[in-house]
Amino acid sequence: MERTTKSVTGKIKAGDIVLVALVIAASIASMVPVSRASAGEKGSLAIIEVNGEEVRRLELGDNQGCRTLRVQGAQGASTVVVEYGTVWMAESACRDKLCVGMGRIDSTGQSIVCLPNRVVIRITGGGKPRDVDAITE
Amino acid sequence: MPTSRRVTNLALLVSIGLVLSIIESTFPPLLPVPGAKLGLANIATVLALYVFGPRMAIEVTVLRSILGGLLRGSVVGLFLSFSGGIVSTLVMIALYLLLKRYLSIVGVSVAGAVTHNVVQLAAAFLLIQHAALFFYLPYLVLISVPTGLFVGFASRRVAVSLQGVSPATG
Repeated sequence: MERTTKSVTGKIKAGDIVLVALVIAASIASMVPVSRASAGEKGSLAIIEVNGEEVRRLELGDNQGCRTLRVQGAQGASTVVVEYGTVWMAESACRDKLCVGMGRIDSTGQSIVCLPNRVVIRITGGGKPRDVDAITE
Repeated sequence: MPTSRRVTNLALLVSIGLVLSIIESTFPPLLPVPGAKLGLANIATVLALYVFGPRMAIEVTVLRSILGGLLRGSVVGLFLSFSGGIVSTLVMIALYLLLKRYLSIVGVSVAGAVTHNVVQLAAAFLLIQHAALFFYLPYLVLISVPTGLFVGFASRRVAVSLQGVSPATG
């Protein structure tokens, strides 16, 4: 047993640093591909909220055609467009237009948020929810 | 080492692991990622490995997982912690035996933490069958670096103190 306890006092070795660096590199490198691969399933319903209150629900079916919805936000009108199962913010009265720049979304759990104009589009429905069913210790 | 002393040491390590996991369960979650935890109980396994050897490490892990699962009263939790615990212990033993020249107790502990999280997620996938679970994998692996380092340094501190104490190494 002398042998095993002696190795304990050893300082950090080169392999420790290599191991930690490898693990960090692997996890960071895999973040983007993994999150892309496990993205949510196609959503079936877009919920439009203004000031935290739901104002409209839009079906996201593939053959529903193109629909445009104008909602009145805190700073002016926002235009939401639904087409081919995707939804996006086409126009917004806000200053920075980040919401317009977010492009199209189509999967459950995704959302487009316009903070200045207080307009939120989020997608629900369609298959199982993305939320995890159980949390373990 | 006489059998009675061995059994006593085993019981001591198992109870240390159980108490550490109970203490840890009172902490608020580290991150909003399911499964991300400090893994304090792994100190018992790492100590068993470095102070008493591989066999003790396996025994501590098996007993700790079963008793911990029974204490929490969750069969699912038992399955997850048992699978994660046993595979990570086997990996730690392999690294300890094969790469002793290159890895210290701290590196072995980090490897154990990473394996534990990966295997536990894979086991959770078997139960839940939802691919979105793997979304958490990179974050779980990343968080296991600081937790594994913490457990490794803590174990090293204790193991160094135990050196020269004859009942422990006897």
